[in-house]
Amino acid sequence: MKKVININFQGTIVPIEESSYELLQQYIESLRRHFANEEGKDEIINDIESRISELFQERLKAGSTCITDDDVNAIIKNMGRPEDFDDDENTGSTNSDKDEKTKSSNYFQGDLNWKGKRLYRDENHKILGGVCGGIAAYFGIDPVIVRIVFIVSGVGFLAYILLWMFVPGSNMVENGVRKRLYRNPDGKILGGVCSGLGSYFDVNPWLPRFIFLIPFVSFIFRWGHFGPLTFPNFLRFTFSPGSFIIYIILWLVIPEAITTSEKLEMKGEKVDLNSIKNSVLKEMQEVGQRVGKMGKDVGERMGKMGMEAGNLAKEKGADIGKEIHYATRRSSGILGNIIITILKIFMYLILGSIALGIIVALFGIAIAAIGVFPLKDFVLTDGWQNVLAWGTLIFFIAIPVIGIITFIIRSFARVKTSNKLMRYSFVSLWILGIVCFISLIASVGNDFRNMSSLNEQTITLQDPTVKSLEVIPFQNLNYRRIGWFNLEPFGTFGSTDDTAFIGNVKIRITKSPTDSFQVSILKMCNGSTRRYADTLLSLINFNISQNDSLLMMDKAITINTTDKFRNQYVEATIAVPVGHYIKIDRNFGYGNRVRFGGFWEGNDWYHYNNYNDNNYDFTYGVEYVMKDDGLYTLDGRPSDSNNDDWNKNSTGDNDSATPSANDNGSGYRYNQNKNLDSLKNVQEKQIQKMQSTVDSMKLAREKEIKRLTDSLNKAKEEINQKLEKLNKGTALDQNNCRQKFPENYSFIMHI
Amino acid sequence: MNIDNTASQMRKGVLEFCILSIIKLGEAYPSDIIDMMKSANLNILEGTLYPLLTRLKNAEFLTYRWVESNSGPPRKYFSLTEKGAEFYKELETTWLELAGAVETITGKNK
Repeated sequence: MKKVININFQGTIVPIEESSYELLQQYIESLRRHFANEEGKDEIINDIESRISELFQERLKAGSTCITDDDVNAIIKNMGRPEDFDDDENTGSTNSDKDEKTKSSNYFQGDLNWKGKRLYRDENHKILGGVCGGIAAYFGIDPVIVRIVFIVSGVGFLAYILLWMFVPGSNMVENGVRKRLYRNPDGKILGGVCSGLGSYFDVNPWLPRFIFLIPFVSFIFRWGHFGPLTFPNFLRFTFSPGSFIIYIILWLVIPEAITTSEKLEMKGEKVDLNSIKNSVLKEMQEVGQRVGKMGKDVGERMGKMGMEAGNLAKEKGADIGKEIHYATRRSSGILGNIIITILKIFMYLILGSIALGIIVALFGIAIAAIGVFPLKDFVLTDGWQNVLAWGTLIFFIAIPVIGIITFIIRSFARVKTSNKLMRYSFVSLWILGIVCFISLIASVGNDFRNMSSLNEQTITLQDPTVKSLEVIPFQNLNYRRIGWFNLEPFGTFGSTDDTAFIGNVKIRITKSPTDSFQVSILKMCNGSTRRYADTLLSLINFNISQNDSLLMMDKAITINTTDKFRNQYVEATIAVPVGHYIKIDRNFGYGNRVRFGGFWEGNDWYHYNNYNDNNYDFTYGVEYVMKDDGLYTLDGRPSDSNNDDWNKNSTGDNDSATPSANDNGSGYRYNQNKNLDSLKNVQEKQIQKMQSTVDSMKLAREKEIKRLTDSLNKAKEEINQKLEKLNKGTALDQNNCRQKFPENYSFIMHI
Repeated sequence: MNIDNTASQMRKGVLEFCILSIIKLGEAYPSDIIDMMKSANLNILEGTLYPLLTRLKNAEFLTYRWVESNSGPPRKYFSLTEKGAEFYKELETTWLELAGAVETITGKNK
């Protein structure tokens, strides 16, 4: 019992048995390969196909209901197989036995008949240089697999070029594999990928399934501690959610075995590691033999050389001359080839690096997005924004990455079936991603729309008349740097699950109008409503306190997942009296300033313009002295010039500053060694004090919040009334005082 | 040295000459050519004939026209061009010379 299908063959409908159809297809494919380099190959194939079609019609007219295997075989015998064309052109019917033999050996090279087999580059089916095709033919495996291995492994590129240069090309390479990688629809659980892999490698399908599952399970466990680009983590990343992505890509790339012959091809003959091993062993043996032979050869030659040494110098000279002549002739040809090859390589190198660049960029975006993703809780409110964030991650970022990788592999694997459904679904999913992204931005932007800032609060110092002041960080926050490429905006000072520290603290130095130090603090914050921004602002906990010549200050603002990050920002202004000294600890210099800026930044920024902008540039970790005309380092250079050579100044500081300090004899500079212990005491005391004041401060804060909200409500009403009156007039003013925000943000998400 | 190989080499040389000769008789369809050669006991595979015809056509020795067929797709009927006729003449003289020479040489063995 056989299935009969109708095919449109050269314009006529032919009922044909399915197996015969496969036979015919294979035959025509073999002809195509044979005539690949012929000038009018399409015409030849066309002619032959029409002739076959005619013969089919004859058979059908003679009364057959359909074309059978016998019919096709008879026709093929008449037409001749490609391997018969070149050497036997006369014997249509006489040597059918021989036909069978050549046929079988050509079609089943997979049997362990390695003799005379050499590694060639496959010029007929090449995509780049034919290296992968050649290797696949040599080992008798599916070229797609070799290509994927080459693409995926980083070493592949160099190895490919070397092989390209040294392996000779050939048109006669025939990949006799009858085994191909398919997805197995019969044994599938998800997409049949693992089942197909199993039958290809002749193992239980649960083995690939297991391999795919292990990293996926571990990925779930590790997600919590998942830092983006530290190298070990990065590797873990490739093997964890990577396995899921790899599965999806394989699903898209590998065709499904639908017809019987495809299923047969899928199971095919045994191509396993054993046959590869055998071939490698064989090759090694041959190499060994060759080396042995060469050794012998060299030995003989050396002997000859010894004898020749006795001969006349004249003869030798002539011999050498001859050989040099040969050598130069040979090498000039080789040189030409090498130059052409190098040019070729350069071309492909450029193309390849462009393609690689695109892929790497995409991957970078994806990884960056995934790295920032766990921190979304600090920014996003629950519900819709979360859904939108996931939508953005999956549809806006992951979909194009998968799409492009799929496209590249498909084009490398020469999968020709253009799957319209797939393309449309990719595009529509991506559009969905864009919608998610835009609404996420709009929604987040709304949360940042309004801005609140308290007027500068002046901090009362214990002893504002000290000769020098050193500003040191308050908390003992762990500073950690993640890898060489830091992507976590909130992670600079480390973040735990529900608390993050952001370095949005800026220190400004100005000149004090009086003869004592003055410290003031400006807090700023955004929010969806003015009121919410005010509430958040009051929650900004910024501690500052003085102890002799030490001014201790938070170097970061704490953010938690309930209060969210809304551009909280603190600016501490230290006014230094003339003739006094100031040093800002180096620790304040680290840390990323984080700010989400965007279209939502309305006219609120003019608040920043309220203070006079006469602060001085300074370098962290360097001691300065305030003079009448500005801030100077201890060796007398203006602070503005420090920016160029940070290292020189900061290291030279101790050498030059200490003696001059001693010369002054004013003792402003504490002795670091002695003071270490006292510093600890001071800190401990400070902490105790802090703890006791925390409670009272909490109460005070709550009162303050109430008071603030009440007063703000009143103020709001008043302002609303005023605004209505002044609406037209203010529009102009606000344009004039556009923000000039004197910041060097190291991390700005400007959308 | 392989006897099949040598024999096929000899046949290969005269193949084009024979094909041109058959087409010279009048418009010919490839399977006609095969039949005629078969009847002359010179067997040739169709798979060999088609590339040869295409090559000759590309060299402008042959031209063809489509003829509708009631069994299957339209057929290509080949005919000789002027250039092909000249080429045939040259081949003919060469062949006659060669045949005569071979006859003279091998005749002595008989």
